[in-house]
Amino acid sequence: MIRTRLSRRRFLQAASAGACIMGLPVLKVSANSDKESAKSGVSYSQNWCEMCFWKCGLTAKTVNGRVQKLEGQAKCPSNYGKLCAKGNSGVFQLYDSDRVKYPMIRTGKRGEGKFRKATWEEAIQYIAEKSVAIRDQYGPESFSLFAHGSGEHSFMNLIEIIGSPNIAIPAFSQCTGSREIAWAATYGKPVGGKEPVDSDNSKCMMMLGRNIAEALHVGEVQDFVSGLSKGAELIYVDVRFSKTAAKANQFMMIRPGTDTALLLGMINYVISNNLYDSEFVKKYTKGFDELAEHVKKNSLEYTEKETGIPAYMIVNACKSLAKAAPSCYIHPGRRLSRYGTDVQFVRAIAVLNALFGNWDMPGGFYTPVKYPVKKPHMVSIDHHPTHDRADGAGTTFPMAPKNLGLANKQLEAIANQDPHPMKALFSYGTNLFHHQADSALVEKAIAESELVVTCDIYMTDTAYYSDVVLPESTYLERYDPAIVTSRKEGYIQYREPAVDPVHDTKGGWEIAELISKAMGYTNHFTAIEDFNYVLFKEAGTTEEYMKKHGCIVKAVGEPFPRAVGERPRFFTPSGKVELKSSNIEALGYSALPEYTPVPRPSDNEFRFLFGRISYHTHARSQNNAWLLALHDYEVPLWINTERAKKLGIKNGDKVRVTNGNNTSGELVAKVVDYIHPEAVFTPQGFGHESTMMTRMSGKGARTSDFCSNETDPISGGAGLQNGFVKIEKV
Amino acid sequence: MNKKYAMAYIIDRCIDCKACMVSCKAEWNVPEDFFRTHIDQGLKKELHGKFRMDFLPSQCNHCDKAPCVTVCPTKASHNREDGIVYVDRSRCVGCKYCIPSCPYDARFYNHDLGVAEKCTFCLPRIADGLEPACATTCPGNVRVFGDINDPASEISMVLGAAKENKQKVWKLREDLGTLPNIYYIQK
Repeated sequence: MIRTRLSRRRFLQAASAGACIMGLPVLKVSANSDKESAKSGVSYSQNWCEMCFWKCGLTAKTVNGRVQKLEGQAKCPSNYGKLCAKGNSGVFQLYDSDRVKYPMIRTGKRGEGKFRKATWEEAIQYIAEKSVAIRDQYGPESFSLFAHGSGEHSFMNLIEIIGSPNIAIPAFSQCTGSREIAWAATYGKPVGGKEPVDSDNSKCMMMLGRNIAEALHVGEVQDFVSGLSKGAELIYVDVRFSKTAAKANQFMMIRPGTDTALLLGMINYVISNNLYDSEFVKKYTKGFDELAEHVKKNSLEYTEKETGIPAYMIVNACKSLAKAAPSCYIHPGRRLSRYGTDVQFVRAIAVLNALFGNWDMPGGFYTPVKYPVKKPHMVSIDHHPTHDRADGAGTTFPMAPKNLGLANKQLEAIANQDPHPMKALFSYGTNLFHHQADSALVEKAIAESELVVTCDIYMTDTAYYSDVVLPESTYLERYDPAIVTSRKEGYIQYREPAVDPVHDTKGGWEIAELISKAMGYTNHFTAIEDFNYVLFKEAGTTEEYMKKHGCIVKAVGEPFPRAVGERPRFFTPSGKVELKSSNIEALGYSALPEYTPVPRPSDNEFRFLFGRISYHTHARSQNNAWLLALHDYEVPLWINTERAKKLGIKNGDKVRVTNGNNTSGELVAKVVDYIHPEAVFTPQGFGHESTMMTRMSGKGARTSDFCSNETDPISGGAGLQNGFVKIEKV
Repeated sequence: MNKKYAMAYIIDRCIDCKACMVSCKAEWNVPEDFFRTHIDQGLKKELHGKFRMDFLPSQCNHCDKAPCVTVCPTKASHNREDGIVYVDRSRCVGCKYCIPSCPYDARFYNHDLGVAEKCTFCLPRIADGLEPACATTCPGNVRVFGDINDPASEISMVLGAAKENKQKVWKLREDLGTLPNIYYIQK
């Protein structure tokens, strides 16, 4: 009943080397000599995980100077003692022979992969000299930065010192941006990176493409499993049967891009059948009558026809949610860079939630509790950039926040050198070739730049095209300023190195300070230790406490204020939940959530969809052998059975996707009934061009080669899912 | 009474995230392409075009009548008093008989050390009062480990409650008479 587990890779290796292995004498190791009995030289250090961005608290166990094991901090509210597969594989990453081990300066053409080893002095001097020349010739605004990760503020501060406003955090435009704008337009505040859905107490949860069990954040999934085990109902909408679908009471396979139509149909049904919380609507919302009128055209028949979901299922979903209300929620989603119509989509989610009155209620949405502490500054900067942002955040796109920027528009500004020269491109922990929409545009932007600097731990595709690669110490080898986080409790997390740097690497803060000083700036960078000292004192704790526990929790607020009789406050123009958004109306777009049909692939094409799987993060973890072993180093491409049959493709066949301009690396066909015939799906983050990510270089499909580059007109966020591909057998 | 270690999986809580597999690999330096525990996926097509996907964790079942112990010519594989089936690496000659003898496919050959390898219930980690690494890390809290001879242990209580609530409690291939010690609990 259990299939044989000899891995294919191991089988091939064994088959070729079989003859000689059999002749070898057996190597025997006594039980006493292996580490099962070694106890000497054990130490523990505190950290938060950097394998994804949820920041689970962890304790690293170091034995004789080598990190052996990572385990979750039992009391950290991000993860309560647990780590996922990615988190556990951090040890492999630390000792991965593919890491960038010393600074490197490009010697060949960009993208040729030819570098020489450099000292830190050389690398910093090279960057400083070029930077000064570029600044003096083109002005400080010609600098741009893409940054992501716990150390992002180091390089952000560096670029601010230089005087450029062009700092983009791709997590906005390429991920949650449209969601945050839509939520703020409705409720007066964004959802936040730690989505405040109370799955733990929920009686009914609905998710639309929010594959919570695979695009996995430990704390969130713990609540989810806990809620399900207490009997919560799950309604799951997706184009494919994911692992989240496996947990659903009702799975609805939807035609790609029609989610807003489904929601409007549900809103109409809920209103016309009086399934909504009339008291909440009356007391706290604005625009209900117009909404009711607006959705009248969204009949069940129309919704069924548009989405492909049978009407009875839609009715069931509405009734289940209404029955559970207010202990129910429709998940606001995570990566909302889907079709370039995402603000309207999330507006529909926000509005449907409001109809169930689940705000600040157990089982619905909670209000994150803040740890009451003021954070000191790491760097003192006395000037502000005088120039407008090149990407239009805050101007062309008035609702897009200036502090996060629009990575998609910033990349276009660099590629087109418009509205002004953009000559120095910095990347900290990001990988343009994978998180941006259009690889050709990335190449153009890099070609237009006179200086490209990447700070990362691996030779990513972006590093591969850079002039200087600055190797960063991993999270297990460096200090970072402590972080303050909010969930149902407020808490502070501490990071200290588990080991000295394995290679000639430095932390982001040290690197940024070196560049700043070499450029002649005198801004003071606070030592991380001093920053922590001030923060901990303010917070009423000490470094000793943090070294012991890693995390301090303070429950000083009520996550469900409405449930205890407090009147909720909404920071919208009307002070109410705006079912009809005045902010969006002021921009000239539909103030009520609106469905716009998306372009459809032709008969011989597929919509190219991608997403996360349980054991990889973005394009960061695909070289990790411990994780690759989980899927035999193969990258699947999900194809619908009927469509595959027509193309003569069988399950397990080697295939490629192509769109005329680009052809992917090898994929393995996963032929299944449970993906919509219009779409194919592959996990994100594969198809690396860099040959220095040796394990998976060239395998799989790089999403930026095939996805679309739409722009949501309201948020400026990207829309990646209108890319169409054909499939060919290898 | 002797301790008798066992594990229960509350499999409805499993989301197939594979954290257990990687945690175990880190704890025991398991060779790159192998794992001491697994999660399998089963998919059934039901009526009206519906699908059902189940996740099945597994590892060494620490059988009371373990075929691997029976076939081992050097007595490297043996039943300990606390119920753990253990491979004494100093006695193992790497003959691999045990590997196909296991009906649960729980063993593999460690090419680096030349010995058969499998789950030890994290002995000696558990001697320090810790849970096995897989149970410690499991985000879904699927795995419950402990001494089933102790009625106050968590596993005894969980199994008792499952029985009381008329949940399904089963073990893998009990028909083979191996008397396995991994319990599956399902609604």
